[in-house]
Amino acid sequence: MIIITLLSGSGETDGKKFKVYARKDKVRLLSIIRLGFDYGTLLLRGEIGTPYGKWDPRVDCYRIKALHYRDVLSYLEDSKIAYRNEVSDLPPLEHLECNVRLRSYQLEGLNRWRHAGMRGVIVLPTATGKTYIGLKAISLLKKQVLIVVPTLDLMDQWRRRVAEHLNVEAGIVGGGENTVRMVTVSTYDSAYLKAEVLGNRFMFLIFDEVHHLASPSHMQIAEMYIAPYRMGLTATYERSDGRHVLLQRLVGDPVYMVEVEELAGEHLSPYTYEKKLVNLTSEEKHVYDKEMGVFRRYLREKGIVLKSAEDFHKFIMRTGRDRRAREALLARNRALKVALNSKSKLNMVAELIKEYRDEKILIFTLHNDLVYRISSRFLVPAITYQTPRDERREILANFRRGEYMAIVTSQVLDEGVDVPDATIGFILSGTGSTREYVQRLGRLLRRVKGKKAKLVEIVSKETVEMRISRRRHRKRKGM
Amino acid sequence: MLPSDLLLVRRRKGRIWPRYAGLSGENLEVAKRLIQVYKHHVDKKKNVLKETVSELENIGYDYRFVRGLSVLLDRRSEFTCSVEADPVDIRRRLYKAAGKLGLPTTSKQRSRLIRSVATEMKLSTAMVEEAFYADLDSELIMTEFKPLSSEELIKDYNVSLTQTLLFSATNLNFTASGNWQRIFYMVKRLGLIYEAYKSGGFWVKIDGPASLFKLTRRYGTALAKLTPVILANPEWMVEAKILWKYTNEIYNFKIESGKHRDIFGEPKGLPVSYDSVVEEDFAARFEALESGWYLKREPEPVTAGRYVIIPDFSFERSGVRVFMEIVGFWTAEYLRRKIEKLKKIDVSMLIAVDENLACKKLTKLEKSQKLNIVYYKNKVPLVPILHHLEKAFNHVREKQILFLKNLPVTFKESVVDYEEFATRIGVSTESVRTVLTEKTPEDYVVLPNSLVQKNKLEEIEKILERQIKPKGRLSLTEAIEIVESEGVKDTSNILRILGYKIMWHGISSETAEVTKPKDKHA
Repeated sequence: MIIITLLSGSGETDGKKFKVYARKDKVRLLSIIRLGFDYGTLLLRGEIGTPYGKWDPRVDCYRIKALHYRDVLSYLEDSKIAYRNEVSDLPPLEHLECNVRLRSYQLEGLNRWRHAGMRGVIVLPTATGKTYIGLKAISLLKKQVLIVVPTLDLMDQWRRRVAEHLNVEAGIVGGGENTVRMVTVSTYDSAYLKAEVLGNRFMFLIFDEVHHLASPSHMQIAEMYIAPYRMGLTATYERSDGRHVLLQRLVGDPVYMVEVEELAGEHLSPYTYEKKLVNLTSEEKHVYDKEMGVFRRYLREKGIVLKSAEDFHKFIMRTGRDRRAREALLARNRALKVALNSKSKLNMVAELIKEYRDEKILIFTLHNDLVYRISSRFLVPAITYQTPRDERREILANFRRGEYMAIVTSQVLDEGVDVPDATIGFILSGTGSTREYVQRLGRLLRRVKGKKAKLVEIVSKETVEMRISRRRHRKRKGM
Repeated sequence: MLPSDLLLVRRRKGRIWPRYAGLSGENLEVAKRLIQVYKHHVDKKKNVLKETVSELENIGYDYRFVRGLSVLLDRRSEFTCSVEADPVDIRRRLYKAAGKLGLPTTSKQRSRLIRSVATEMKLSTAMVEEAFYADLDSELIMTEFKPLSSEELIKDYNVSLTQTLLFSATNLNFTASGNWQRIFYMVKRLGLIYEAYKSGGFWVKIDGPASLFKLTRRYGTALAKLTPVILANPEWMVEAKILWKYTNEIYNFKIESGKHRDIFGEPKGLPVSYDSVVEEDFAARFEALESGWYLKREPEPVTAGRYVIIPDFSFERSGVRVFMEIVGFWTAEYLRRKIEKLKKIDVSMLIAVDENLACKKLTKLEKSQKLNIVYYKNKVPLVPILHHLEKAFNHVREKQILFLKNLPVTFKESVVDYEEFATRIGVSTESVRTVLTEKTPEDYVVLPNSLVQKNKLEEIEKILERQIKPKGRLSLTEAIEIVESEGVKDTSNILRILGYKIMWHGISSETAEVTKPKDKHA
């Protein structure tokens, strides 16, 4: 065994820069030890093992999840092992000028995160300025950061905020763009697909709407990026599938949690909720009963009970094998469509528009068909997954400026996108999911002086829709 | 590739396979009808087309099959927005008008707004209404459709099903009859990792870096993209592990050219073509030489430790193999890495390098590594290559001869066939013959193709003698039978050595006879 005394320093071989880390005391240098990045993983070359890695016979060295970057570094340092760090490939740092002033609860969240070792999840209701906490953290940490968001709308919003509050241009990865800068914004999908090439380019990860990270594919983002500093932001920490427990390992513990009720009144405008029941037209009722009858008869005949989501999934699987099951399903879908798209609802919308003529209105529906029907009948700007990106941006901007007084949308606005000072919301249909409901509520909770937000749900009487709506409320109470 | 909800599979006893569409009359009929529908809907709206397609979904066929075919046909269609006015502009004006004057809640208010925008743009109200959402996907007009035969459609569908299943693959093992360069190029480009191994042929296992930590479907898409390149060969076998997310179980998936070639169709787009003019030209000139070396284009890859080398050519002669790679564009670093790889294997490899692109460093490199580098300008020269081949051949032979001479071998068999012996110990027949002629074991007689024990020879002579005695001659056919029944193939040489003579009464061996000249003594 050779014993060599080395000092810390850096040098260059094969045109590649490297650093040698060592203490002034003796180190054992078995052979040149190199820690490198390989398609979303770390490779430790040289005759050495690590408790975080696994021997990879395909390449004859230890391979480590990028997630453990920080652990491997401290292991090597603690063991006084000299090595070359060839892992990161960071974009140049830029000068940030931060003009964000945090409110007391935001500052509290940020401090808790810092004390937790710059890792962890901050849980705050929608529209309480989670973005600002993220921006402040970036300006304090001054490291290359990737902000991961679920939708293109949110990507735009972060891009705008970074320019406004940090005074730098953000890099963008996703939606057809691909530029990496000190502050970069990406969608979950792009960050996942490009983990192999982006994984070693950032030191800090911010996950907006972090509950998305817990899905089986998206969690690989956390595993394949080296960033030692991590922040998760969300309004709905818990997932109905229980997978949020995984976030602890990927991002860190929840470090700060505030419920809607705690902030309402103080920092948020209070809101009221109202349910309007409408009758199907007699023609609609006839079709509805007929189609629903087909569906119910089939279930009764086969003795099928649909109580849980799982029951329903089983039934869907059955439609692949059984023609009659498929016919029953199609009949049910037709019935639901009639209920969800009822003419009476459109008439109710007309009434409500008249009633709230001077307010900014958001109209939510589940089906794109209905979005376009409303858009066409009331000349309301529509946003769906099909809306071209530029037009979507323009609609939101004009709505913000007050040139448009309403927007009708399917699910794409569900999360976090900032639609300022909308005070009235109509729900025309929904899936009955908890998160969706909370965030739709949140969308309306804007802090505008003296304003009272109101949510109106329009439900067809005596249809299964009543049950969907009830389920929404039951789940919310149980949260 | 299809949306995953259109993937039809069967699972049984740990195996999984897509429900491939056979080329049955019924399936072809569905395909034909769909193609007709698409043909007839040129210049019509997409939602009208989809309406007709969904009617076909509900007449007794599996709707997922019909929809799958339809997805493939959509990709052969062009849909465009064909109104003159810009829908985005029309909408902007309508929204703004409604923003200013208030949202219309009656049809009267609505018509008034439409009319104001129409006047502003000098269009009719009908044109405004038409353009309002003309750019929605369902409102687009099909402007072009590239038809195909119903058989081709079914085959495309089967390949797409395979790829869709492979989205859920955790790894893939395959063997193929060629096309290696293209395959490994794709493997590299897709960021996958390969391991080569022998298992009744040359097999390659493919997964990705993170596969080490857990079974992951992360590389499924890449594996699906790789597969058509493998299937483009005349012969192949593909096995994959499928992680079925609905049950969280691992299934085996296997396809092979012998069973599935017909439902996937002919290999497309990848005939045995030469990468470059230089290679093609070289192959043609070399074959014209008739040098005794058998030239093979894109031979099976050579494993070098964990790595794989894919030569352009192999030359074969009596069990000696030499490989050659023609390098067009290169850097010193590239060659150095190549040499590193070659050092790991005991394979003789020629590298032909374009002199125009050579750099000086290489001469140093060549000397230090004793590389078999042949320089060329425009054409790869034959003479230095033959020289290298000859050298390699002699080198191998010398090595084998030395090996054989030092081989402590005593024969127990009364007859030793050179070829059989050579294959058994893995050297060329030529070398065996040379060594045994030079260093004949005691009690054995050397024949051109075998070694025969003297006792055995005497035995054979006795039998032949007995048979010949009555008539003084024996038919050649009988003589061959006798000799071969003693385990020797070399009949004519045996007869010659024992002093017999073959009398030919024509060109057929059936009438030939064996005699023993009287004046000669055995």
